[in-house]
Amino acid sequence: MALIRQARDEPLSVGSKKPVLETDNLTVSYRPYGLPPVEALRKVNIKIAPGEILGLVGESGAGKTTLAKAIMGVIAKPGVVESGRLLFNGTNLFQLSEEKLNQLRGASISIIVANPRGELNPLLMVGQQLANIARIHMRVSARQARQLALDMLKAVKIPDPVRRFRAYPHELSGGMAQRVVIAAGLICSPQLVISDDATSGLDVTVQAQILDLLKKLARERQTSMLYITRDIGVAANFCDRIAVLYKGEIVEEAPTGAFFEGPSHPYGNLLLAAFSHNSVLRKRWSTELEQLQKRETPALACLFVDRCPLRQGRCWQEHPELRDLTPGRLIRCHYPVLRHRP
Amino acid sequence: MIVLRYIGSRLLFLVPQLIGIVLVGFVLIKAVPGDPATLMLGPMASADSIAKLRGDLGLDQPMPTQFLIYLEKLIRGDFGTSWQTTQPVLSDLRTRFPATLELVTYGLLLALLIAIPLGVFTAATKRRAIRKLGGAYGLIAGALPDFWLALVLVFIFYSQLHWLASPIGRIDLSVVPPDTITGFYTIDSLLTGNWEALVSSVQHLILPVITLGLINAGPILKMTQSTMERMLGSDFSQYERLCGLPRQLIVRHAFRNGLPSIITIVSVLYGFLIGGAVLVEIVFSWGGAGQYAVQGVLNSDFNPVLGFVIFSALFSLIVYLIVDLAYLAIDPRIRH
Repeated sequence: MALIRQARDEPLSVGSKKPVLETDNLTVSYRPYGLPPVEALRKVNIKIAPGEILGLVGESGAGKTTLAKAIMGVIAKPGVVESGRLLFNGTNLFQLSEEKLNQLRGASISIIVANPRGELNPLLMVGQQLANIARIHMRVSARQARQLALDMLKAVKIPDPVRRFRAYPHELSGGMAQRVVIAAGLICSPQLVISDDATSGLDVTVQAQILDLLKKLARERQTSMLYITRDIGVAANFCDRIAVLYKGEIVEEAPTGAFFEGPSHPYGNLLLAAFSHNSVLRKRWSTELEQLQKRETPALACLFVDRCPLRQGRCWQEHPELRDLTPGRLIRCHYPVLRHRP
Repeated sequence: MIVLRYIGSRLLFLVPQLIGIVLVGFVLIKAVPGDPATLMLGPMASADSIAKLRGDLGLDQPMPTQFLIYLEKLIRGDFGTSWQTTQPVLSDLRTRFPATLELVTYGLLLALLIAIPLGVFTAATKRRAIRKLGGAYGLIAGALPDFWLALVLVFIFYSQLHWLASPIGRIDLSVVPPDTITGFYTIDSLLTGNWEALVSSVQHLILPVITLGLINAGPILKMTQSTMERMLGSDFSQYERLCGLPRQLIVRHAFRNGLPSIITIVSVLYGFLIGGAVLVEIVFSWGGAGQYAVQGVLNSDFNPVLGFVIFSALFSLIVYLIVDLAYLAIDPRIRH
């Protein structure tokens, strides 16, 4: 695997490789009527280089899907983009009109969704739905669009693509529908594909096949990916770099290899330990719910302080900033877990 | 092929359904107090002559026998005679049922023309004020009685402005109605090239059709708006947006997904209005089937009432069959 691992200091713009996507202090909050606002994303900075696969992991509620929605430009009320910029090839997407955004969506930036059978239009043949996307974004004739759709169905290795072209979503299995949605995401050869928990609903064997296929197609087309998942095991195999999101903050960012050799943030360790079969390890990093401190977390505290087994007095008073640990590794913790490397 | 078999099986069920409807209608109508013999002969009739007439009409027989006699005649196409019009019920309904059907059909078409675009637009717009407007229309149309609106329209367009011919009947008394082909004056006069009849019948249709259209657009608008809002908020519409499809196409797809609900309410309204438009018929002296049935009920004239029940039941069953076929055409999930 030719992984593109780059140090943070010589940022991803090695040579002419400017980042495809860059979020600059992106802050999004939800302001439900009559309730206090909730910050879903807090000053998030991520960069994705051309051809790179960035894994975004975190528990539910961490803001992963909000980030995906923000990039797609579909944050809906009561969600509000509070501040920050979202740069796609250097253009701030927040300054584009809805019409311009619509030309990017599905064409230059696409998203692969989970639960594909619920997301496809139940009354249209799946091939036709693919062809619609191609026809609109690539301005080709209906016949050319159908051919592109058929080629794409072949590319995602759907058995009997000519027949499946005419199938309706309810006639497909979950795995096949997932392939259709991947085909939809890739048909216009976008520069960036977001996968939001896309394969989590599938059988493990099918999931492995589909991930392999997705990676192969992404590499062939030099497509960058933001791979959002709760399954850290999948992220280990799939991504070039890992970013850990916790309560809307990036708490750790590292090349995949380095991260899985040993996460530096206590939360990163908790995530890995949760997948471990070693119950001692699991216990060491997770805080029993009843042990959670009942006391109000001060506004300036570290967001993880109430669950952190390594917390100290400073963690209650000072919110840590994201800082370089070693070149290419970022961490938001006063007392990172350090390991001796052989 | 599947469709033909489907229609066949549905038509097979039509017969027992109709017999059931006739039975229930028969029992209910006979349960209404009132003796046609007394009414027919008037207050001066002797008890003997009333008893004789009852015997002639078969009213002295037990109810099951009466039902079987009615059913047997019905199978031969004999709906009995109305003692008020002294005509066979079948020939009465042959002119009166199309009269109502013509009125109701055009009324519903107008309602659709108003409600569907308005419903889609009010659901798809981002402006809250326009959404509210759609809701307000539904509320007002639901609260207004149709006969009241009819009277207001007559007052404005006939009494005050004199734009239209006198709102009595389906056609001017001085104009010869077109030869009966479909029973719709507009279509028959078109087919026979009877332009004078066409103009006159259209003139007579305008006000009652506007009345029915404006009132019945209410529920259709409400259904269209709420269905479209649901469909535009659904996962597949959101996904189409994520795929960058143009808004127009997304709305069109959402409409197609919402169509079954809209068709359902239209079909229910269609069946209902055959009898439900009776107040409008009375205002415009339309001489339709609803009026015919109501007069029958008031005068213990059973045969017209039963004939009306059978006709409108048959009509509703046909409409529902067409609706089911429409679902079949729209939704591939049902074809399995």
